[in-house]
Order: sequence, then C-alpha cells, then structure tokens
Amino acid sequence: MLKKLGELKAKGYSYLKKITAVDYPDRFEVIYILHNLQANDESIISVKLPHDKPSIESVIGIFKSADWYEREMYEMFGIEVTGRVVKRLLLEEWNSGEYPLRKDFEWGKEYKKAA
Amino acid sequence: MSIMRINVGPIHPSTHGVLRLVVDVDGDTVKDVEPHIGFLHRGVEKLMENRMYMQSPSYTEKLDYVASFCWDDLYVSTVELAVGNEVKEAAQVARVVMLEFQRIASHLIWLGTQCNELGQMFTMFMWCMRERQEILKFMEDVSGTRMFYVNLRLGGFNKQLPSDFVDRAYKLTDYLESNFLKYPEVTESNPIFMERMKGAGILDRETAIEYGVSGPVLRGSGVEYDIRKKMPYYIYDKIKFDIPTGSKGDNFDRYRVRYREMLESIRIIRQALEMMPKNPDVMGLPIKLIGPSAKPDIVVNHRELPKGEGIIYMVPDKQKPYRISLRSPTFINLSVLPKIAQGAKFADLVVISGSLDLVMGEIDR
Repeated sequence: MLKKLGELKAKGYSYLKKITAVDYPDRFEVIYILHNLQANDESIISVKLPHDKPSIESVIGIFKSADWYEREMYEMFGIEVTGRVVKRLLLEEWNSGEYPLRKDFEWGKEYKKAA
Repeated sequence: MSIMRINVGPIHPSTHGVLRLVVDVDGDTVKDVEPHIGFLHRGVEKLMENRMYMQSPSYTEKLDYVASFCWDDLYVSTVELAVGNEVKEAAQVARVVMLEFQRIASHLIWLGTQCNELGQMFTMFMWCMRERQEILKFMEDVSGTRMFYVNLRLGGFNKQLPSDFVDRAYKLTDYLESNFLKYPEVTESNPIFMERMKGAGILDRETAIEYGVSGPVLRGSGVEYDIRKKMPYYIYDKIKFDIPTGSKGDNFDRYRVRYREMLESIRIIRQALEMMPKNPDVMGLPIKLIGPSAKPDIVVNHRELPKGEGIIYMVPDKQKPYRISLRSPTFINLSVLPKIAQGAKFADLVVISGSLDLVMGEIDR
C-alpha cells in the first residue's frame, strides 16, 4: 500500500486531500483521496482491513497532510496506525477502547471520562 | 533565554471560537505552536448517519456558520447525486447567485476581524459588517432567515424566488462593488496594515501542497486551484472569471486573494443573473424522501467553499446514509499553523492564525 502511494506521488499525485474510513459489516476500508494538480485528475485508493484488530501503516513519510487525518481516524475508528506516534486530537479526554464512528458504538451512549 | 510555555484560549476573543494554542516562546519569538482542538466536537458525522437524508441540512449549516448556504449546497447536491436528481435550470442560476453572495459575506467577516486583530482600525470592521448586513437582508428575503437558511430541496428550493430577485441582486452588486473599491484606501495604504501583513506567515508553494491546504490559503501560495474551474458544477463552466493567486504566500497575499475574489464573485453574480430565465421555476421536491432506489456504492462530491475545498464522501443506504465523511477545509488549513508561525513574533501569531480564516464549528465537527 505504502509502495503504491509512493508510486502515485512520483506520478504527480502529490496533493493528499483526505483520509477517511468506513466500517462495513465485514471489514474496514481506509480511503485516500489524492489529486494530481498538473493533470487535474483525482485518484481514490481504498484499502481493506480485517475487522479484528485493524492496523495500517502511516503515510506521514510521503504526505505530511496525513498527520491529523490519521490521528482522527485512530480516535474515531480505532484503526491502529503503525510507524508513528499517534497523539489524540479531537477527543482528548475520551475513554480509549470506545470508538464513536464504529457501527457497534451504541447510539446515545453516555460520555465517560478517561480515568 | 529559556523557553516559556504560554496557553492561549480556548476561550479567547482572537481565536474566533474555542481554539486552544499551546505556544513555546523564547523572549518574544514563537518557537513552537501546538493547536488543541475538539472543544466544539458534536459528532456531526455520527448524527447524520442516524438521520433521514433531508433532516441533515440543519447540521451541515452549523459547520461553517458564517457561510452556511455553501455547506448546505454541498450536502444537498451530494444527496442529489445519490438519488440521481437533476437540478432545474433556474434553480442552478439562483444557487450560484446565493453561493457567491455567501462567499462575499464570509470573506467580509474575515476581512473585518482580520483588520480588528491588527489592532489599528475599527473602521474596516464596521464597513464590512455594513455590507454583510445588506447581503443578509437579501438572503433573508429569499429564504426567510438571516443566517441558517435550510431552504434547499432536491432539485431546487423550498419555495419560489421573490419577484424582484433579479433587480435586487443587480442593485446589491452595484452597491457592494462601489464600496469594495474604497477598501484599499483603508487597508493597502495604511502602513500598519502593510507592515504586519507583508512578509509574515510565509507559506511557500511546495509546503502548501505537502500539507494539503486548500482555498485562498493555497491560492495565496501561488497554486491556481479552484474547484469552480477545475471540476465545474452548475453553470460555472459558462461563466468567465479569473482565479486570483498570490506569489509569496504571506498574510498579504492571502488578503489580496480574498479581496480580489470578492470582486470576482460580483462578476460571476452579474453573468449568472443574465442567464436567469423569465418567470423562473425553482421549486424542488417536497422534503419527504425515501432515499435512493438504485443506489451507487459511493458518492464523492466536491465544492469550492469560501474557506477551501469541501468534499463529502458518502456511502448511501436506503433511508439514511450508511457512512458520511466530511472534508472540512479549515481542519487541514489549521494543521499548517505550527509550520508558518515558527519564528514569528508572539503578537503576530494571532494575525497569522487569523489569516487562515478558521471556523471552529467546521474544524471540530
């Protein structure tokens, strides 16, 4: 995956617009939206991850804009990002182990402060 | 000298909302800035995943609360893509007119507060608010409310346009233009303005692309990238307008890009009004909507919002979206602040963060 994104960057897709994730019933999908500014062409890469202990390599070495998106993705979906230090970004006091944008997160659940 | 750590915010008038900055200073020089966000996090994406499609515009409007129509348009047009609904011709024209007026209103808020932060003039703030007030009055007559419109429906609007829509819009553009041309007398010929804006907060072209910033911040660094030109929607491909760009990427370039964009928006509105058909019919579908019948797997939609590029990545489902992911431009524009504020004076930090045009409602979501 890292290799493919590196190749795309070499081809001119150097503008990373967004990283996001989707929680499907059987898998996680991580989505990268890249743009080629010279050719005005957009490329959307999606990576499938297993539902059990999802983890993905960090792309921060290739795209600096990945920093905050990866932090957000870790907090919201609990997808581990390897190869970098992930500090909490949006929900600094949230209890770890609960990931709000996962589908099994109970809707309307009471907020618990981290110990 | 030793490094001192200063906390700015989260409740601070110059941070435009609940932004907290932890700043390391050496004397008066900024060594490092760490933004802390999330104080206004409402979980909008989760909320929208649990609502029917046409209940969500009231959430998207409160993302960027000074340009709510633009987010509303981004969301409703994404649903239109999912459902496969065509927008009526007159409605396309009316939407472009409203979008550009909203863009001007958003830039006016920015210009007014930016001049306020420079600490030299309340004149500019009052002028900007005066012009913005006229725009809001116009928007109110079209939609019924001043700031949060919720008047878009699939294919058009929730009601017909007022009969004097075109005349009033023309008059408003004349009024705005004659006033905008006076602005440089107060800004660009003011030595305080020029000294604090020029050469501060420099963001060069390569760094801007690397950090993924968009909108006037990206264009200020000399990248000619505007969704209205690159991926045209509605009637933008039939309209002639320029993309203003800067060269150095400092605060002044970002000011200049926004100021010229306001004049370009007036050009766009005038051309759009000429395309308005006689007796326009802009009525959209009623709000009751079951959802897409032959649903696509994913829908990706782009819009040029006043603050940058907005993207919605949606996985549609029958009655509610299965997943909706919002790219808010200021979220990623803020992440570049530690880079460009390094080495600046502490007093300039507020000016530099202001020049990014941050709106916390959109950053925290």
